[in-house]
Amino acid sequence: MTQVRLNSVRKQFGNFVAIENLDLDICSGELVALLGPSGCGKTTTLRMISGLERPSNGAILFDGKDVSEQAVQDRNVGMVFQRFALFPHMTVEKNVAFGPSVRGESKAEIARRLDEILEVVQLTQFRTRFPAQLSGGQMQRVAVARTLITKPSILMMDEPLANLDTKLRVEMRRFIRDLQQQFGITTIFVTHDQVEAMELADRVAVIFDGQLAQYDTPERIYRYPRSLDVADFMGATNIYSGKLLSRNRVRTALGDIDCPHQNDRSAGDAVQVLLRAEALDMNIGPFKSAGSGLRGRIMARDFFGASVTYRVACNEQEIDVTENARRMLDVGDDVQLEIAPEQVWLLSG
Amino acid sequence: MTARERRTRILQMLQLIPILSVLVILFGGALVMALLQSLGFAPWFGINTFPDFSYFGSLWGSQTFWVSLWLTLYYATVSTLLALVFGTMLALALIKAFPGKWLYKYLYKLPLMIPYTVGIALAVIMLSSGGVLSRIVAFAGLIDDPGQFPQILKTHYGWGIIAVYVWKQTPFITLAVYAVLLGIGRETEEAAAILGARRGAIFFRVTLPQILPGIVSSTLICFAFNVGAFEAPFILGGGFPDTLPVVAWRYFNDADYTLQLQGMATVVSIGIVAGVILFAYLWVYRRYERRMGRH
Repeated sequence: MTQVRLNSVRKQFGNFVAIENLDLDICSGELVALLGPSGCGKTTTLRMISGLERPSNGAILFDGKDVSEQAVQDRNVGMVFQRFALFPHMTVEKNVAFGPSVRGESKAEIARRLDEILEVVQLTQFRTRFPAQLSGGQMQRVAVARTLITKPSILMMDEPLANLDTKLRVEMRRFIRDLQQQFGITTIFVTHDQVEAMELADRVAVIFDGQLAQYDTPERIYRYPRSLDVADFMGATNIYSGKLLSRNRVRTALGDIDCPHQNDRSAGDAVQVLLRAEALDMNIGPFKSAGSGLRGRIMARDFFGASVTYRVACNEQEIDVTENARRMLDVGDDVQLEIAPEQVWLLSG
Repeated sequence: MTARERRTRILQMLQLIPILSVLVILFGGALVMALLQSLGFAPWFGINTFPDFSYFGSLWGSQTFWVSLWLTLYYATVSTLLALVFGTMLALALIKAFPGKWLYKYLYKLPLMIPYTVGIALAVIMLSSGGVLSRIVAFAGLIDDPGQFPQILKTHYGWGIIAVYVWKQTPFITLAVYAVLLGIGRETEEAAAILGARRGAIFFRVTLPQILPGIVSSTLICFAFNVGAFEAPFILGGGFPDTLPVVAWRYFNDADYTLQLQGMATVVSIGIVAGVILFAYLWVYRRYERRMGRH
């Protein structure tokens, strides 16, 4: 159980600044995702925590102890690489036993731990296979086992679900969650996929251009993004500029909408209004009186199996509405949209 | 077989014809002729005692042949091993980023483009007694006269020969190993480091097994060349007893053309020795590969 802290960490490659003054606190036993578009510096951050890269400035602390100058080998961290980085010339058991073997553990101890960990990752019957003879999911489990057998104080994963197909993702997600709970190990993973981050993490650190944009629980980042960039990256599509009519009503091109009470804003302030597609209710009539809800017409429909997303034209604006696929509406249908005030989120701007 | 499959097959055959004809007619034919001549078949010289093992007999019966063989293998092995060590070290260095890397990447390949003969001339200029190196040492006052400089060239230690081979073949091995290193990437080494492996363990347990195919193929080529090469030991060697290719050349160049048959026996002997060693090398490597689960 290790607590990780990054103290205004900065990393520069030549003239390129990969990470700019990053502060990050990761609690002991927490599962944290570093989320951001490719090239935002999230992998560099992970590599600095592991010791593969040295920060140009700032400090990395494990349990309050500065490890910035400590060699990779001495940090006792574990890393599961995106493409697993298994040793292709070693069998599964040789791969997994590599860590304890180079650390000089006794043969008997290695054998005991090997059996135990292969059981945990359910690879016992594949122990004499070579990586090339395994499926993607199995390779990942070998990579996880190879790391866990060294009892790392921090587990790091680079895009853990990226190389797996949909069905395996679900399985692997549960597996990683269970393992993390079972071992109570501080876990940090990197991803560019907001779904992956929300699926797995206790907290998500959103990084843009080497800077921390928001660090919060998945739910809060999704519902209450702190900036337009974060909202956009989390997949928000319905963002409209508006002006506060009062502290709890906002005027947009769609129409006037009730919003939560704004303590630190006042009437006349310009805002951005975020309406999550799944928070909108869509009525097909008979319509309620004018003034409540927004009238519109369905322009397009995307069917995703469990859910349907409709594109609705509303006062010459377009708005996405996602609902359960229990009913199917048709393109051209007239609808009325409603949203509960507490589902509306306002951003400055 | 459908007509379409047959067409593909015919096209395949056509693509194989050039290399096949070179191998069978030029190389295979020459090999058969060399073997026949070494066994006494040369009617165009008025000699036909086929099958006659006396050429091999007199060659293998003389003690100087074994000294020549030893020198040949010694120069070839030592230079190949040195080039392998230097080449691998250079390749491992080039894979990492460092200032001026682009210059290094250009410079190290230079010897590949310079002919052996030029390299030999450079060795003569630099390393001979009275050469640049001896003059520099004398100028520095370490010796009184350039003539006192230790003999590097024209000794049976073959430092000059080895220097030229290593100079020329280090970049070749670097090139081969570097390409393999680029292919395997740095991730397995990084994974090993995170798992706690130090530099030595990473190299011997993770990197080396993965670059072994590149090492084997490049050293195979270098060794085969070194065993058969002629000009470096001819110019820089210690004289009698010469390496086997030089011995063969002397036979071929002799006024008595019947000695050509003795030369052929020498050439065939080089072929046999090189072949046996290279096949043994490959056999050991294949066994290792199978043990590693590669096929």
